[in-house]
Amino acid sequence: MLPQRMKKAITDNPKKLANLIDLVNLPSTLREFVGQSQTSRLSCFMRVWSYIKTNNLQDPNNKNVVNCDEKLKGILLGQPQVELAELPALIKLHFPKEPK
Amino acid sequence: MGKVPPSFRSALSNPNLFNRSQLVPSNSSPKPQYFPKKNPPPKSRKPILPPKPKSISLFKSPNLQDAKNIFNSILKTSKAANDSRFHNSLLQSYASISTINDSIAFLLHMTKTHPSFSPDKSTYHILLTQSCKSSDSTLSPIHQILNLMVSHGLTPDQVTVDLSVRALCSADRVDDAVQLILELSSKHCCPDIYTFNFLVKNLCKSRTLSTVYNFIDEMRTTFDVKPDLVTYTILIDNVCNTKNLREAMRLVEILDKEGFKPDRFLYNTIMKGFCMLGRGTEAVEIYNKMKEKGVEPDLVTYNTLIYGLSKSGRVSEAKKLLRVMVERGHFPDEITYTTLMNGMCRKGETLVALALLEEMERKGCTPNSCTYNTLLHGLCKSRIFDKAMELYGVMKSGDLKLDMASYATFVRALCSVGRIADAYEVFDYAVESKSLTDVAAYSTLESTLKWFKKAKEEGLQV
Repeated sequence: MLPQRMKKAITDNPKKLANLIDLVNLPSTLREFVGQSQTSRLSCFMRVWSYIKTNNLQDPNNKNVVNCDEKLKGILLGQPQVELAELPALIKLHFPKEPK
Repeated sequence: MGKVPPSFRSALSNPNLFNRSQLVPSNSSPKPQYFPKKNPPPKSRKPILPPKPKSISLFKSPNLQDAKNIFNSILKTSKAANDSRFHNSLLQSYASISTINDSIAFLLHMTKTHPSFSPDKSTYHILLTQSCKSSDSTLSPIHQILNLMVSHGLTPDQVTVDLSVRALCSADRVDDAVQLILELSSKHCCPDIYTFNFLVKNLCKSRTLSTVYNFIDEMRTTFDVKPDLVTYTILIDNVCNTKNLREAMRLVEILDKEGFKPDRFLYNTIMKGFCMLGRGTEAVEIYNKMKEKGVEPDLVTYNTLIYGLSKSGRVSEAKKLLRVMVERGHFPDEITYTTLMNGMCRKGETLVALALLEEMERKGCTPNSCTYNTLLHGLCKSRIFDKAMELYGVMKSGDLKLDMASYATFVRALCSVGRIADAYEVFDYAVESKSLTDVAAYSTLESTLKWFKKAKEEGLQV
């Protein structure tokens, strides 16, 4: 089980928070999808998730799986199917850690 | 959270008790939170200011010349201008948008163009309240108004002290309030016990205990303002909230020496202190002592005690207490039930808690969002998913908010049985219903998913 302390650490840690909500210059592939040149990781996730919902891309037989359309493939490593559970990790790939 | 729960209402409606402590564990109490946060005490105890005029938007701009023009045009058209309340209302209305210097100038203009109007205490109180709220971080604007007041032959009284202290405290200037109260006490007038207690309460919130004690001592030795039972209750509540029970017991002894008889509120506060630390035995002792001394327990007493017993795992006693309180003519409210349900859920008696929800509704007590959150949390912990989904459906249809603990537990429970899509749906609801910020909701979802992925890779049983 995820310990209580860990959860608190996530919400309390300013660095973690910053990497979630700071605006980042997007790579060109993502720029096309989002329609902005800058966005945060959080709003990028929200955008992709709402895109999946509005276009009914969840597999009707298994809601946990997303059938990617062409646009989505472009940003999610070109895979035809993506697990919902992987979505945050896949989006995180576009937001590399900044070198110190 | 601003709603006053019914069990506190009776206490709050009594003007003498407005800054009584309540049965509220400190916000650092373990999840989930069953009780609403502290209610701010009702703002002003005395109807001092003239009623605000309905046309509050009379003055559209903070510009002084505009205000003067408006005043002149009102004088020309209206005849009801001989009442000082009329001028005060105008001033109040203007002060709400202008700077303090403009307000003073406007007052001068009013007295000049309309000589039959002589400013009274309320007039200066308006300016005083404004000066306390001004951005100037020194006391000089306040002194300016007080000097103005004195030079017009009006001595500051207890109302003056009270108003300025409250205004300063609401602007987070507690230290200035202390300084002002000392100055006013030495020059004009001591604060009454309400003002004193209000300031003590505010000091407790943001300053160290020794600062508070110093202030109380200074007021006692220099100006003979003695702490009363309410003051001690505030102090005990404060030390209990910081889990300093030894100091609380010392305060109780002092109070005893000074000849105060503890009342219901004081007993409740001490009991809360023990309960928050999960020391049920001591809490029961206080309860027995209370009955011995003939102090009638109230709803808050029972709620506190049930909380304490639940917390220390003595649910069966807590259940018994529920019957006792009914016999004594106190109706259990949603806080009572929620507390008891929490205790049951902790013990793993989740289905009994669920049955209590039915009983509660049958008896005409409406569950609130805390009740549902407690149950949802409990159901997820004991992995009764169908009931949890059902309960979540009820919460959704009632637009009830999820709290952090039950949200996180629920998402984790859904992920653990592979219902990721449902977890996403809960995430959507949490964001839409504004239960949580999207940052909090998302980071919980993300870390939960990450954790499960890692656990799967390592071949852990989840």
